[in-house]
Parts: sequence; C-alpha cells; structure tokens
Amino acid sequence: MADKRKRRRPADDSDSESDSKLPFKSKLKPDSTILQTLKTLKDSATAAASSSSTKPLTLSDLNLSTACREVTDLSLSSVQSSIESLILSFAHSILAGNGFSFSVPSRSSANQLYVPELDRIVLKDKTAVRPFANVSTVRKATVTTRILQLIHQLCLKSIHVTKRDLFYTDVKLFQDQTQSDAVLDDVSCILGCTRSSLNVVAAEKGVVVGRLIFSDNGDMIDCTKMGMGGKAIPPNIDRVGDMQSDALFILLVEKDAAYMRLAEDRFYNRFPCIIVTAKGQPDVATRLFMRKMKTELKLPVIALVDSDPYGLKILSVYGCGSKNMSYDSANLTTPDIKWLGIRPSDLDKYKIPEQCRLPMTEQDIKTGKDLLEEDFVKKNPGWVEELSLMVKSKQKAEIQALSSFGFQYLTEVYLPLKLQQKDWL
Amino acid sequence: MDTPTSRMTRSAAKKDSPDSGKKPPFHSKQKMDTEGSSDSPAETKKAKSKTPRKPKSAHVLKQKSPAEFFADNKNIAGFDNPGKSLYTTVRELVENSLDSAESISELPVVEITIEDIGRSKFNSMIGLADHERVDEELYDDFESAKAREKRLAKEARHQEIQAKNASVGKKVKGPMATKPTKSREASYYRVTCKDNGRGMPHDDIPNMFGRVLSGTKYGLKQTRGKFGLGAKMALIWSKMSTGLPIEISSSMKSQNYTSFCRLDIDIHRNIPHIHVHEKRENMDIWHGAEIQIVIEGNWTTYRSKILHYMRQMAVITPYAQFLFKFLSDTPEKNVTVRFARRTDIMPPIPVETKYHPSAVDLLLIKRLIAETSKQNLFQFLQHEFVNVGKSYAERLIGEMGPDFSPKMPVKSLTAQQIVRIHQLFRQAKFDDPSGNCLSPAGEYNLRLGIIKELHPDMVATYSGSAQVFEGHPFIVEAGVSVGGKDVKQGLNIFRFANRIPLLFEQGADVVTRTAIKRINWNNYKINQTQDKIGVFVSIVSTKIPFKGTGKEYIGDDISEIASAVKTAIQQCCAQLKSKIVKRIQAREQQERKRSLNKYIPNATGAIYDMLKDMSQSRASKKKRYEDKDADLLNQVSAHLVTKETLKEKLTQHVEQVDYEMALEYATQTGVKEEPREDVYIPPLEAINKFNDFCSPYFVFRLFH
Repeated sequence: MADKRKRRRPADDSDSESDSKLPFKSKLKPDSTILQTLKTLKDSATAAASSSSTKPLTLSDLNLSTACREVTDLSLSSVQSSIESLILSFAHSILAGNGFSFSVPSRSSANQLYVPELDRIVLKDKTAVRPFANVSTVRKATVTTRILQLIHQLCLKSIHVTKRDLFYTDVKLFQDQTQSDAVLDDVSCILGCTRSSLNVVAAEKGVVVGRLIFSDNGDMIDCTKMGMGGKAIPPNIDRVGDMQSDALFILLVEKDAAYMRLAEDRFYNRFPCIIVTAKGQPDVATRLFMRKMKTELKLPVIALVDSDPYGLKILSVYGCGSKNMSYDSANLTTPDIKWLGIRPSDLDKYKIPEQCRLPMTEQDIKTGKDLLEEDFVKKNPGWVEELSLMVKSKQKAEIQALSSFGFQYLTEVYLPLKLQQKDWL
Repeated sequence: MDTPTSRMTRSAAKKDSPDSGKKPPFHSKQKMDTEGSSDSPAETKKAKSKTPRKPKSAHVLKQKSPAEFFADNKNIAGFDNPGKSLYTTVRELVENSLDSAESISELPVVEITIEDIGRSKFNSMIGLADHERVDEELYDDFESAKAREKRLAKEARHQEIQAKNASVGKKVKGPMATKPTKSREASYYRVTCKDNGRGMPHDDIPNMFGRVLSGTKYGLKQTRGKFGLGAKMALIWSKMSTGLPIEISSSMKSQNYTSFCRLDIDIHRNIPHIHVHEKRENMDIWHGAEIQIVIEGNWTTYRSKILHYMRQMAVITPYAQFLFKFLSDTPEKNVTVRFARRTDIMPPIPVETKYHPSAVDLLLIKRLIAETSKQNLFQFLQHEFVNVGKSYAERLIGEMGPDFSPKMPVKSLTAQQIVRIHQLFRQAKFDDPSGNCLSPAGEYNLRLGIIKELHPDMVATYSGSAQVFEGHPFIVEAGVSVGGKDVKQGLNIFRFANRIPLLFEQGADVVTRTAIKRINWNNYKINQTQDKIGVFVSIVSTKIPFKGTGKEYIGDDISEIASAVKTAIQQCCAQLKSKIVKRIQAREQQERKRSLNKYIPNATGAIYDMLKDMSQSRASKKKRYEDKDADLLNQVSAHLVTKETLKEKLTQHVEQVDYEMALEYATQTGVKEEPREDVYIPPLEAINKFNDFCSPYFVFRLFH
C-alpha cells in the first residue's frame, strides 16, 4: 500500500509531462540501460577498492623528505594518561619557578602539504611554543589548560559532549565558540589523537537517505524508511556499524534543496543509491561517515554541487581534507570522488537560460583562480579545464538553476542523462 | 523666522561693511513699511517677479547667449537648488579671493559673511509692499476644512493619550512637536566676501562680472575654478532668484581710490548692466575686493556643508586667515568661526604652461594655429608645445610626410594636414611633461593644516613626485591622521582637487574608493572601524579629470591617478605604523604584568583540579605513577601543594619575566626622542614695507 503511494507520483509525472516540455528528455534511454552503466561503474570501483585495499598506502610508506604529523584514534585511558603526564610536567615546572609552556603543532597553511600519492593534505611537523608568561600567548595557554581539564573530566566520566557544551562550561574565559573550537583542534594535535577520541562531537548537520542499512548505537536504521528528511548522520562514528547496502553508487549533494528534491522523488528507488548532504561545507561527522561508507561498501561516489568555486571547494574538502583538520586527514577524506555536475560546461550543454546564471563577483573569480593553483585540482586535467572555463566565462549557476525547466527536471532528466552518458570527471 | 523686533540686530551688524552709509535708494523704504506689519512671512504673498520676462518668439531661430545657457543649466555649475546655490556662491567667492591674494603673493585674509534676510525685509529691499492674504484658499499651505478636522482629531487623540499617561504616572515626553507645515517659503541671504587681494582695475569691473565666459583664468594651468564662471554664476543666480544687483568695491595697491560698482547682468545679451560705477575715497590703505550679493538660499540644510567647506579650506590653505560669520535675527543661530593662520609659507603661483603633444585634440591644434604668432611649422611645433625640441621638431616634420616642410607657413595647413599632425602626436613618443608648472599645497602646509584643524594624535604626510596621465602632469599629496577632535570613528575622507575641497558625491571618488577598498588598514595596525582616521588627499593638475555634471568628484577609472593615490596613502600609513607599533609596545609594557596576572587563577585552578583528580584516583588504586609524580601527588593529597602554592610560584615567574622584558625594552628604546615641531609666530608689527619680485618659482622680497 505504502509502496504504491510512493511510486505513484513519479509515474504520473512521466505520463503527464510531455517529452517536448523537458529539453533533452528524448535523449534518455530506458532506465535499464542506465542501470547497466552504473553497474559497470560499481564493479570497477569495487575492483579498484579491493586491489588497493590489499596495500593501503600510509604516510610512513612514502618516505617523504619532510616529516609529517598524523594523529591516531586513542582509547580514553591513553588520552587520560597523556593529559596527566603533561599536567604533571607542568606542575613540576611551575613549582620549580619556571612557569609552563605548550608546544603546539602549527596548523597554519604554511605548515600544510598536499601529498599526491595519498591524494590528501597532511600536516608538516612545525610547532609553535605557547608559553604562559607572554602577553601574546597567555590567553591561549590558559584556554588550552582549561580545555585539557575539561577533557580530563570527560575521560574520567567517559561521556560525550558537544563542542557547544564545552564552550558553555566557561563562557567567560572562552569568550566565543570559535576560540574554544580552535583550541580543541590544538589539543588534538598536542595529544596526537583524533578529535573524536577526545569525546567531543559537533552537532548533527549531515543527513543520509537511500539504500543503506546501518546500526546506530545498537539500533538498526533503514535509510529507505526514514521519510523525506532522511536520517541525521550520527556525530559519534564509533557507534556506527554493520553497514549494508544494495546501492550502485553514493550521490553526494551540496545543497539541502536538491537533496529534498531527490528524497521526495525517491530517486534512490529508480537508481539504487545512497544520497548524502552536509548542507554546505561538510562537518567532521559527515566526512567520517562518508569515508566509512566508501571503505566498507566500496561504492563509487558521485558529487552534485553548484557550478561555482565554492562547490568545487566543498568537493575538495570531502576529497582531500580541509586545512583546519589536516592533522586527521587520514580518517576524514574520501578519495576518488567523481564530479558529475553542475559543471561550467553544462551551462551551455543543457542550455540553462541566461536569467538563471549569475555573474561571478571579484571574490568568486579570485577564489576560482586560487583553486586553479591548488594541487588537488591540478592533478585532474578535466577539473582544470572546467574551472578555467568558469573563470573565463565569469558565470556561475546553482543546482536550482535547473528548476527553470521544471522543478523535477533534476531527477527526471538531468541526473539520468548524466549517468547514462557517464558524464563525470 | 523673521520678526520685526529682532531685525534691529541685523541692521546694527550691517554697519561693519564699508558702504553701509550709502544705501541704494530703495533701501530707505525698508524701515517704514516693515516695522508695522505683523504678518509672519508664511502668510506673505509668495508670487513675485523673478526675472524680467523675455520677449517670446516661438518659431524664429533663436540663439542662446552663454549666460542664458548657464541660467538654463545652472546645475552643471553647482546651482542645483537654493541650498547648493548658497554653498556654491560662498565657495566661488572664497576661491576667487584666494586666487586674487595669491596672485600678488599676499597672505590671504578672507572674511565671509552670510546674512539671513527675512521675507518682509527682502520685500522692502526690492521695494515690494507686503501683501495681506485675501483669498486664503489660493495658497498651498491653506488648511481645508477637512484637513483641519483631521488635525484637530489627531491632536485630541494625542492629548487623550497624554492625559492617560499622566494619570498612570508615566513620564510624559512633553508635547509632541507638531511638524511645521512644509513651507515652500524661500529664504534670502546676503553673502559678503572681503579679501586683501589684487583688486580689479576700475574699468574692467563690469566685464569681469557681467559677462559669462570671459575671464582671466583661461589657458593651460592649474586653477582653482572649474568652469571660469566664479562670481558670474552667482550673479546669474541672484538675478534669477532675487533680481537684486551685485555690489563690488575694489581697490588696487597703487590706487588712491576705491572703485564701487553696482551692476547686474543682461542674461539675454550676456553683457553687464551697470547701475552705479564710480570712484570713491580709499579711507584706509586697503587693497582687495569686497563683493556683496543677495541670493535665495537655504542655510538650514547646507549649514554643515558650508562649515565643512570652510574647515577643509583652512586645512589645505593654512597660510590664509578666514573669518566666517553667519548672522540672523535669532542670535543663538549665529555662527562665527575664525580660522587662524599657521604659516606664512605660500605655495608658488602655478604658471601657465604649453600643451603636451599627446594631450591635444584636433580642435585645439586648430585653435593653437589660429592664435600662434609663429610663422612656420617648425617654429610652431617648437614653441607651442612642451617637450618638442629643435631636433625633435625636425624629426616630426620629416615623419609627417612629403607634403610637410619645416618652412611651410603654419596658417596654410589644410584640414587633412592637421589631422595628420594630430595622428602623429597620438602615435609618437614624447617625454612626459614635468610637474614644474604645478603648485601643490606642499607637504609642510598640508601637515600644518591637518594639525591646525583636527589636532590629531598622529599625522603623517607624503608628497608624491609628478606623474602623467594623457599628457597632463599631476601631483598627489596625502596625509593620514589618527585621532583628533571633532573626528568621527572610522574613515574621514577629505578630498582636494587643485587645492579646493570636494564635498559632494564622495562615494564614487577615486580617493574614497582607494581608501576603503584598496588599503588594508590592518596591515598598519589601524582599525578601520574603531580608530578616528583622517585621510587627506590633494591632487593638483593642469587638468583634473572630474566626473559628474557638477564636477564634484574624480573618477576611479584613471589607473595612473588611482595607483598614485594608493601609493601616497600607503606611504603615510607606513610612517604611522612605526609610531603606532611603538605606542602599542609602550602600552603593552605597562599592561603586561596586569594581563599576565589576570590569567593566573584560571590556569593554576585548572592544573590544580587535575592534580587533585589524579591524587584521588591514585588513592583508589586505579593508576600508578612514577616516583617523581607520585611524590607530587602525595604532596597534593597532603595539602602541602595547594592551589595557592601554584599561584604563588606562577606569579613569581611572571614577575621575573616582566622584569627581564622591561629591562630589554628599556635598553632597546633608549632615551625618548620625539621629533620637534616648528612653531609659527606671526610678527607683532604687521606692516612691513617691501617690494616683491615675482618669478614662477620664488618670490624675492626686498624690505625697505
């Protein structure tokens, strides 16, 4: 019964909407053909994954000339003991009349390195001293001490809190949340552990819907039965397990609006897939979840982002990590994401009307040009070509630009056609 | 508003002006017919003849005199509305006075007075009797029965609310100020400007004021004026708005009389219409000019603009002395501002220069050919343009083609040949014109001006070298100040073009855009939103590339100027940066201990709490520690080491560090040496007898 209601609408639509109304619809082959191409895509992805999984590349394998820093998942007790030994050394130092000083790995962009073999950004080994007895660092040193104390308490009680919780324990000292958040990342680096092993999580941001079943804290979740909104991606990835899926690919969506359209039209039933969005820049939880899906299910990942420099930037964060969290890039990145659309070349190819295109601002063009210099773009000649086209034409478009042909054009024509033509880079 | 009782103050004030004894005949009527009338100006009749009606000939081909053109398009000369007209009149008169004084190397003394003239007094001045309103409904501000009902109802409601509030005991805001009904009543002002300049030759006065587009300032040089209209446009405006003539008294240095002239302009024929033109006795040994004009204006809305203008003028001309007065019937509204002189160093007079070949157009070449005294082409090229030497002129003529020869008479050139010359001028390479013909305000003067008027905490100035756009040389000078009185937070931009302030259309100006968008103030430790920043940029050129109809701003599209402005501001900022850094260091020095001590409780508290947690978990045998750490934890549990111990030790450490840093700072900075500033003291005995020998670059002054 429920099944019928679900399917009825798309069926009605395809009857009532005449082919002439939706441009390029005539080019669409039957779904079965498209499914066939998707299957081959999946098989190749699985094959690639299995071949590479036999020899997972790590930093230590590479023998890079510069020393790099990476963090690992640590157990609560080892986090606790490393905090304690640090504090004890401070106490000794203070009692000896020498004050105390942190040695914090630098997370500035000068200390970042893109490693092409790994296809992600890693942190070099430069560190900065953060002494208490210095006007410029006294505040940060104090905040760091305070955060260490709070995490120490979390370890003793073995509970999870959010970054917001952490901030509110001492608002007067932290002043605003960006400060406590930044110090939290510093603490991860100091202790050499991932942020999740500090038992601090961020609020849920990402959502997932589609052909995926997994367990969250022991409850089995079927993402096809989560309604239109989908399932919020749980902030603690260590509670997630037992992933199963019959999907052929993972569809990564930048925008909430496009995600809504795909979910409402039950796109994952027409083409078996898992649809994920983080509503803009992805948070840590979504990236961890993506990586887990990719490694466990061995599915190809296809991305649908805006045709602007920020769309590509979001893609890069999924793909090779953000600079802010580069110390943990090993756990956060999902390599080999295919850029499906909206690509600058699609604007003309799909005859997106002028009124739906936006002129790029000076800032946009600058970001675009900067991106062209980035290594992760350069390694993919197709992306370089697309980005150069964007910077040259000085036009951008959002996914919603496709709605000018009808709200369902995205799910009815654009995506199927793209998949049929294997039009991804 | 004008009331008969307060009018006495005005006529008393008027005695200051030298010609107050000899009033024009129709002035005498004023006293009788206004004293008795009790009607407020709002009720006086609005309509009156503005300009003499011209004969209409609809279908005949008409020609417009220049004066008529400017009367029709007065907005392009800055006479958009009464308020702006008042402002522009003031500035034209002030700028004329400055030019006049500078032309004889005299330190300018300018007195400008604006007098508010009430409606009835104005009427009496022009000999028009006040009229009682007979047909009330005829007037715009007539209140119809319906409107009155509405208003009364509103007032009643308001009173009710107030009564309610009063009964509840709420604070009553006072009676709601009923908005005065929007009056379209014009207000009139007498603007008087007196200077100590050159004065004008007796016979030339009528033409200098009564003929538009006749002037002494045409030619290629740096001038203050924009169109060469000056006082003439003010006269046209007075003719349009009040119909009253302009009064000029003037005396030149060698003259033993003053010329007095009362005239207006025949707009249709563009000729002066002289009422009085006579020589009078020169009582005190005064030279200069005094111009008095009555115009329609709007002081209320343009008050701040006019005062800003005067203040900025004082910044850019610190060697001048200004006295600005606003007089009205209500004494509390009166304004008197004196801008004192701070220096007697004047920038040189800008000299007239010849055109640069790359700056001329076809028409200009034709004009130059028509005007030149040179006979042949060779001499013409060599003498009428800058940067064309003998050999270069020869090469140019050779390049022009076989039709040209050095000896050919220049007046015989055909139109095609002139086009060829023009083309070659565009393509050939010439040396850049030098900035010698320019007269920038000077870094010294700019700095003095800023200090004098703003009293900033810090100021830096920079004077760029001459640069060129489209064949015109220009010089950019800039000053950046931080702090000061009457300066609002954020960027305060002061723009000067050819040493006059620009006040309108700030947003699109090259200076504004550069300061806001292209300067990274943070780089110089200046907070763009918090600090009181003054940005002063003065651009001088033989041609200022103004934009907009009113010539109120310099466009952002000339890259040479934009980059020169940017460099100049950056240079100033760089100078300031070192000062600011020093100041921050000094402040840090003072506050270091305090800010370090502030965090001690937080840090030690956190560390101690952790130590306590550890000692507790050790007591419950959960964990083992090494000997040294175990000792420490024992001490903690035995209360031998407490929060206070940690605090004390850390405080000691902070004190030691502070002491070391203070020592280091003292050895680094050494003895403080503030740059000294010269103080200007004017001589006590004011009159010195001397002769000036002027040259373009200096003035040789011989004292007797």
